[in-house]
Amino acid sequence: MSFILRRIATTKTGKQIVRDQALPGDTITLGRDSANIIHVADLAVNPHHATIASTDGRTVRVTAQEGLGFGLNGRTETVADIDSAAGGELRFGGHRLTIAREDDKIILLVERIDELSQSSKDVDEVKAFSLAGVMPGKRVGSWTFGLLMLLAFLVGPIWAWYSYKTVDERPGTLHADRSWISGPLSSAHANLTKDCQSCHVEPFVAVTDTACVNCHTGEHKAMSMAHANAPTAMLLAARAPDGGFDKFLANVGEAFNRPQGRCVDCHTEHEGAGPMAATPQKFCADCHDGMQGRLKSAGHPTMLGDAADFGTGHPEFRPLVRAAPGAKLARAAPGKGTVDYNGLKFPHDVHLQATGGVARMAASFRGRHDFGQKLECENCHRVEADGVRVKPVEMERDCAMCHSLAFETVGGVTRTLRHGEPAQVVADLTAYYRSTPPSRPLQLGGMQRRRPGAYAEGQVYNIYFNEVAVRPSRAQDAVRAVFSKGGACYDCHTIFAPAAGNNWRVAAVNQTPRYLQKGWFDHDAHKETACADCHTAAPASKTSTDLLVPGLRQCRDCHVGESGARLVKVQTATESPCAMCHEYHSDGGQPWVPNRQRKVNSAAITNKRADAMAGVSAVTGAATPGLYRVTWRTPVLHGARRGG
Amino acid sequence: MASIFQRRRNKATQVERVRERQHEGFLRYAGFRWAKISGGLCLLIILSYALVDVTPRHNGGSWYGYTLGTIGALLILWLTALGYRKRRMTSDYWSLKAWTSAHVYLGLSLIVIGTWHTGFQLGWNVHTLAWVLMMLVILSGLYGVIAYATLPAALSNNREQMTQMQMLEAIRAFDRQLHSAAQPLTPADSAAVLASLDQDPFAGGAWARLRGRYPACATAAARRTLAASQGGDTDARAKVVQLLLQKEAALARLRAHLRLRALLEIWLYVHVPLTFALIAALSAHIISVFFYW
Repeated sequence: MSFILRRIATTKTGKQIVRDQALPGDTITLGRDSANIIHVADLAVNPHHATIASTDGRTVRVTAQEGLGFGLNGRTETVADIDSAAGGELRFGGHRLTIAREDDKIILLVERIDELSQSSKDVDEVKAFSLAGVMPGKRVGSWTFGLLMLLAFLVGPIWAWYSYKTVDERPGTLHADRSWISGPLSSAHANLTKDCQSCHVEPFVAVTDTACVNCHTGEHKAMSMAHANAPTAMLLAARAPDGGFDKFLANVGEAFNRPQGRCVDCHTEHEGAGPMAATPQKFCADCHDGMQGRLKSAGHPTMLGDAADFGTGHPEFRPLVRAAPGAKLARAAPGKGTVDYNGLKFPHDVHLQATGGVARMAASFRGRHDFGQKLECENCHRVEADGVRVKPVEMERDCAMCHSLAFETVGGVTRTLRHGEPAQVVADLTAYYRSTPPSRPLQLGGMQRRRPGAYAEGQVYNIYFNEVAVRPSRAQDAVRAVFSKGGACYDCHTIFAPAAGNNWRVAAVNQTPRYLQKGWFDHDAHKETACADCHTAAPASKTSTDLLVPGLRQCRDCHVGESGARLVKVQTATESPCAMCHEYHSDGGQPWVPNRQRKVNSAAITNKRADAMAGVSAVTGAATPGLYRVTWRTPVLHGARRGG
Repeated sequence: MASIFQRRRNKATQVERVRERQHEGFLRYAGFRWAKISGGLCLLIILSYALVDVTPRHNGGSWYGYTLGTIGALLILWLTALGYRKRRMTSDYWSLKAWTSAHVYLGLSLIVIGTWHTGFQLGWNVHTLAWVLMMLVILSGLYGVIAYATLPAALSNNREQMTQMQMLEAIRAFDRQLHSAAQPLTPADSAAVLASLDQDPFAGGAWARLRGRYPACATAAARRTLAASQGGDTDARAKVVQLLLQKEAALARLRAHLRLRALLEIWLYVHVPLTFALIAALSAHIISVFFYW
């Protein structure tokens, strides 16, 4: 039996050279060792890997020798019988042994089929040496990331909008368009954070006033009363002529479907949590700066003064006054020497003097009343419960401590003349004098003899007859005395003598509860400041017709423009936008100012510790309803017409 | 007339030649022209941001914010176009070097344009996401510029005049020698050598490439095994150990090369996909603004 070892060499040109070599013996050894009959130079082959033998010259038995098997049809075997006529392929490491039969001879063909080493394999230089071989492609990453972004942040939010398009109020769960929020909503609107559609109703349509008014019903609507009644042409004429740039911006806004003049122009949102920012001064000054001239030239003459900035351009206040006794209330004409006839006679200077009769009287009442060494403003002027305004002076409460109307004491009870009712005063006095003359002392009765000394000062006779002599014998005299110069009424009131069927009359007293109707002034916010710091004219005022309402000058001692503009030197400046005093919507209430702003500024004025200022020592009255201190009331814009 | 143009062109050619001679890179192109333009742009934005009065405060939704946003968005698209431009060979108009120089410096100015566009109002939303992606793209690009400026020298030093294929060929040669030299070794020893031969010199993931550490290196393991091995043909083993040492050195050079290449290339795997993520997020950002106008 003979085995033939066939070797095939391939030339560079691809030509194959076949060499056959007859192998000696019936048992052929195969291995890496050079002593083997078939020497396979392959490290994956054992030195004595296998024997190949055939007993009948037809069937070939291959037996592995040293543990390592060989591959046959994909499986590892240690012994295999192969019919050489059918042929077979065996694997030894990186080599292939093909068994075949030709002319009664068994042909063994050994070829290297695997590369010698991994590095010997062909490589794509560009790919192998760069990261591209070990990283996912950039293209894949680009598509993946890009699509993920579009899915999560474009398709998702639009889907959220679409699915709640017809729903009034969204459930409070997380929606995909939450990722579109451009900034936290103000505290008042914080509950709308998950419901974008409550304001952004239509896509690509800028937030409309309708969205605002849907919740903000009542008179607090799109525009203030002062502006709502004005013709559109007038409003347009009032606007400062836009510079080229402003016009350009407006045109761009229109082009992008973002019209001007909406609520949100002033009430900006998504500006951060906390209270909504106060409307900036610009929105007022856009029109009111130099408006008079513009309106006049446009054929809409106006009385309104120009206002640009509180620190530098603001008209003088025009408080509500009576220019003459009994005249109607009207806003004072701008200028000096304003008088206000309230019907009373009251010299502030006498009452506020540190020395003199009033001060002495006040001092003598210490303990009984809340007086000090002299009279102070607050001894007579009381503040309303909310602290905003000062109550009208009331005779019984604020004057009667000193200006008593008592005329008789009966059994320890003092009888007083009825204040405010002149007819009653006349009646009371008449009744008093219609009664008998002073009662005669007992000593003066009967036929008893009297010693002459009883007529001396302080003795009974003297007292009695003095009384009889002094007391007017007729009620008419007493009534005249009380209403005339030196009398109790005349001191404070303007008296009209009886004429043509009229009795004594007292001029009506009209105290104006709110002098500045167009602006808001809160006394409580200024309580750290002495009254006379602002009411500078009061200590020297000789007559009650002096208007003691502070003017622009006193305010400007502390208040400067929104951005700090000022005309005079100011020590502790309070930046004051229009909205600090003026309420655009003119509902008569307090203009809305962020709490933060108030606290900071008042602390600065008084140089007190911030917590001492910000902290309220005692809360009286109803609790503040949270952050929004807006109260809805009926408009009192024309309060004057209702009689002040 | 024609002669004027001729002269001008000659002058331009001359300037170009001087540049070529001095090997002026994209960073110092034309005397830092784009660095100056971009720096001036940043300065202009910072100044105007301080001067322009936007009420109640600066944000992306003011006219100023929209202006910066538009500039930024257009700039992002133009910067992305570098990927298109570099694949197109042109001889006239802008040279690729000029384009790259502008790309780098204008890209850096986008930090100011984008950040000042936000009005420094950031939050958990798509708008800030776009800003973050933009910053990541810019930072990866910045890394790329630094890598391109510093790594090629190291790459060149490591190569020592060899090409990449020569490095690989050296390893192949050692493999062949190892294969024949290891024939007399015992099965245990030859198995270790075989493992070295069977290991792909390019094996190891991206992380191994970037770090340049291969703790599972079969060649080093084979050397250790053979050094500790007893018996058999001592001379043959000594020869194989020597060969293994040489193969290790060749592998080290190849791996250092691969590491430098990886460090040079890795930023693009951040820069490019994030650019497309940025463009997607930017689209969502812009559409969202107009959708909820």
